[in-house]
Amino acid sequence: MDTGGSSESPIETKKSKSKTPRKPKDSLLKQKSPAEFFAENKNIAGFDNPGKSLYTTVRELVENALDSTESISELPVLEITIEEIGKSKFNSMIGLIDRERVDEALYDDFETAKAREKRLAKEARNQEIQAKNAALGKKAKEPAAPKAMRGRGETSFYRVTCKDNGRGMPHDDIPNMFGRVLSGTKYGLKQTRGKFGLGAKMALIWSKMSTGLPIEISSSMKGQNYISLCRLDIDIHRNIPHIHIHEKRDNKERWHGAEIHVVIEGNWTTYRSKILHYMRQMAVITPYAQFLFKFVSDASDKNVTIRFARRTDIMPPVPPETKYHPSAVDLLLIKRLIAETSKQNLLQFLQHEFVNIGKSYAERLIGEMGPEFGPKMPVKSLTSQQIVRIHQLFRQAKFDDPSGNCLSPAGEYNLRLGIIKELHPDMVATYSGSAQVFEGHPFIVEAGVSVGGKDVKQGLNIFRFANRIPLLFEQGADVVTRTALKRISWNNYKINQTQDKIGVFVSIVSTKIPFKGTGKEYIGDDISEIASAVKTSIQQCCVQLKSKIMRKIQAREQQERKRNLNKYIPDATGAIYNVLKEMALTHASKRKRYKDEDAELLKKVSARLITKDTLAEKLAQHVEQVDYEMALEYATQSGVKEEPKEAIYIQSLEADKNQFIDFRSPIFVFRLFQ
Amino acid sequence: MASDKKKRRRTDSDHDGAATSLPHQKLLKPDSAILSSLKSLSAATSSSTSSTSKALTLADLSLSSTCREVIDLSLSSVQSSIESLALSITHSILSGRGFSFSVPSRSAANHLYVPELDRIVLKDKSSLRPYSSVATVRKATVTARILQLIHQLCLKNIHVTKRDLFYTDVKLFQDQTQSDSVLDDVSCILGCTRSSLNVVAAEKGVVVGRLIFSDNGDLIDCTKMGMGGKAIPPNIDRVGDMSSDALFILLVEKDAAYMRLAEDRFYNRFPCIIVTAKGQPDVATRLFLRKMKMELKLPVLALVDSDPYGLKILSVYGCGSKNMSYDSANLTTPDIKWLGIRPSDLDKYKIPEQCRLPMTEQDIKTGKDMLEEDFVKKNPGWVEELSLMVKTKQKAEIQALSSFGFQYLSEVYLPLKLQQQDWL
Repeated sequence: MDTGGSSESPIETKKSKSKTPRKPKDSLLKQKSPAEFFAENKNIAGFDNPGKSLYTTVRELVENALDSTESISELPVLEITIEEIGKSKFNSMIGLIDRERVDEALYDDFETAKAREKRLAKEARNQEIQAKNAALGKKAKEPAAPKAMRGRGETSFYRVTCKDNGRGMPHDDIPNMFGRVLSGTKYGLKQTRGKFGLGAKMALIWSKMSTGLPIEISSSMKGQNYISLCRLDIDIHRNIPHIHIHEKRDNKERWHGAEIHVVIEGNWTTYRSKILHYMRQMAVITPYAQFLFKFVSDASDKNVTIRFARRTDIMPPVPPETKYHPSAVDLLLIKRLIAETSKQNLLQFLQHEFVNIGKSYAERLIGEMGPEFGPKMPVKSLTSQQIVRIHQLFRQAKFDDPSGNCLSPAGEYNLRLGIIKELHPDMVATYSGSAQVFEGHPFIVEAGVSVGGKDVKQGLNIFRFANRIPLLFEQGADVVTRTALKRISWNNYKINQTQDKIGVFVSIVSTKIPFKGTGKEYIGDDISEIASAVKTSIQQCCVQLKSKIMRKIQAREQQERKRNLNKYIPDATGAIYNVLKEMALTHASKRKRYKDEDAELLKKVSARLITKDTLAEKLAQHVEQVDYEMALEYATQSGVKEEPKEAIYIQSLEADKNQFIDFRSPIFVFRLFQ
Repeated sequence: MASDKKKRRRTDSDHDGAATSLPHQKLLKPDSAILSSLKSLSAATSSSTSSTSKALTLADLSLSSTCREVIDLSLSSVQSSIESLALSITHSILSGRGFSFSVPSRSAANHLYVPELDRIVLKDKSSLRPYSSVATVRKATVTARILQLIHQLCLKNIHVTKRDLFYTDVKLFQDQTQSDSVLDDVSCILGCTRSSLNVVAAEKGVVVGRLIFSDNGDLIDCTKMGMGGKAIPPNIDRVGDMSSDALFILLVEKDAAYMRLAEDRFYNRFPCIIVTAKGQPDVATRLFLRKMKMELKLPVLALVDSDPYGLKILSVYGCGSKNMSYDSANLTTPDIKWLGIRPSDLDKYKIPEQCRLPMTEQDIKTGKDMLEEDFVKKNPGWVEELSLMVKTKQKAEIQALSSFGFQYLSEVYLPLKLQQQDWL
């Protein structure tokens, strides 16, 4: 079945090889399909190398699945499986026979006689050192694991599967949705995770480039009595799908959603932690989703299964599609809107195709445009010059800021829940800012700051989210990182930037996230609106935390005051007593230098009636009294204050699981048997 | 003197033959002309100081009630004040009231620059350091311990260094900055100078040149101390019998510049005493400089970097540091002239661009802050120079002069400066 690429490309390469050396090619005018362009520049979409490609594939599939489930307001249930496929298994999959190496020296990882000698000598030396260390009883360092001899030829292949319970896809649209680059359903002005219609197709292009295997999609929409099964690859040169199978099957379980299988080259070892981080952070920002992540390989010790359980039923609302803000459009966009509009005249066009232009305001605008414009003039008849005039006016005129109604932030509740669930911090504070505007696009910044927790390293741990996707790469240049590092004076909030375990979570949602660089990796630090919004949000969290921390410090001081005060008694009294002793000696040697009261005292010291212990005892009594007084004062001041109660989330009962039910809290689990 | 002159002649002819290409060299007059100008400066200084030999004190300005100053105390009186303190503490503890120290505050807010005295003094605010407070329990304990250690020093009549003191109870003091800072507090509590506590800092400053003095009974001739010079002894009370035929004292910020001058035997060409504390001056060097100035009545010329910190170091010599303001009367040397390298010299001597450094944000901020300081404002020349520095945003180290040759500093720059009497 694999005719698409593999049969075509050899012919072409043969051609070019035979032609080029003979005569320099004339500069022919060629055209490139979008698919070709992205195949050649796959790093643009995050397919830089096999490892990153595996990461990006997982990420694109997960984000599509979440968009799909959220669009029908269904609580997401996602299953992601990465299955490692060994070389021989892969070969058998594509029908290639395993060949033994005949000429060993041909390969890159061939060990020459000289290299082997060197290696053996080194190993012998290492062993000697180890034996010596062992003899000396030193704690032997683990010998560095011999590097896996893995040549370039021996890449790993992975089958990535992502199953969701989302909207599914209409049967007839499936080929175009996967087999045509830059075609998509998310092109409108709306807050979505994906944007360009590139992700899943890039995974397909990458699979075609690295394995030549097609993508397999099964999908069903709500209420459909069949499952669409489609196996296809992409004709890169023509940017059209190349369909292998496209059929309908029975849908007995009334399942709806999509399941996608794709086999790609990848590198699990190097990108393992990135993928797991991604899943973990995704779980933080979407606590209403349930993820099951599995990594399956032949070596069972490498297998990973992680379930990120759902902790809430509350989902952010589906972000509605919105209209453009007049200050966010350019000439081309205006022309496109004119071509697409169903409105007849200019007044209606202005009033209905943009936000924040009411009827009276539209009339005023038209009046301002000039005498050749009128409210009743047909919008399709506008000349290019007239459109330029409209654009100019949009640039100069004053409009109200777009509202944030079209945005769907994760919500403070979800953010907080996600942080608590994944990090188990000692303290957490969240803040949700109001909508602000950057270049006509509204954005909302939400932030959470946590202190303490398990698996959190000391110092700042920054978690960035844009339109509810975690951003993992290019952390250093990101606006959030820079703000947290440079513009927040943590000391002011009684937080120690280097010692405390600080988690900083910032989620930015917008109809257009101003990503920097090629991939969706980071948001630049040069946009002052976003930078200041991020700063205030983090500061707001810190302010909340500060009072909590202060209260904690006070409480701790209360507890430790007596201990701290008592700790220094021996040192202090020892020092004073030593001076007294010396004085008593000189006093005894009859150099009478002291007055009655002091002389009395020194006599007692000489007679050992006053000793170090007397002083210590008296000082301890004093400490006791002071401690009592201060505790009383603290109690009257603060009153009986209880810590704010944390709600415990109880997992919903599932019908099929009727053996027992878990009631979970961070501290304990109730297990109820039925 | 004769041998000295011969030596000088030789160096003169050497440099005439070898380094004719040095810029600005032609401007130099013969050394005798420069020497005569220096002599007039020296004479002027000694006459002016002798006329106002009676230095102003706080009492003269009727500030003694609002400002605090310490005096040199004898060992026995230090001992007795510690003992009376110990007795009062004991009484307080035995009566069940715990104890506390009243410590003069050495914070920035408690300082005052007195223009008449031309130095920083400590105001009279004090803070209580009770044992029975979590915030101060440590410090109170450390204070008691330091008092006891000083008491021992008094009994045994020995000197120790700050480092020694720290190591007697590392567990309690934790790090040396803590014991050092409490030591200064103890000086304030007892109202005596730090040297009267018999605690000295490790020696840091060095001196070379036309100076003869006795250190603990040994006569030291600083022209015969080799290249490195004589380390300034930490116990100023054991230094005496100063005599010199120098015409001025040259204060150098950097060790490198000091080495160059010492190796070239600059003090033989122009009779002078060269002193450096290698950066921020320590107490011993400041005491020594003051003693030289007071006893020998010589003008003091300073050679520091052309950056805010150079001027800051100058100010510490001149009117004292905030940390030690309680003893500023003994530590400061009045009337120090800023010889170089001044911001205006950068263009005057055409120091090449690659040797100038751009000032950092921090530098500029420090510079602007210093423009507000009284000790800068009192000297209009300094204000002008510092404003120029902040304006051009350029700084240069003494070593920048090495771009004209390593000996430019001693062969051309300093002689020319002296000839032109170019100090502020």
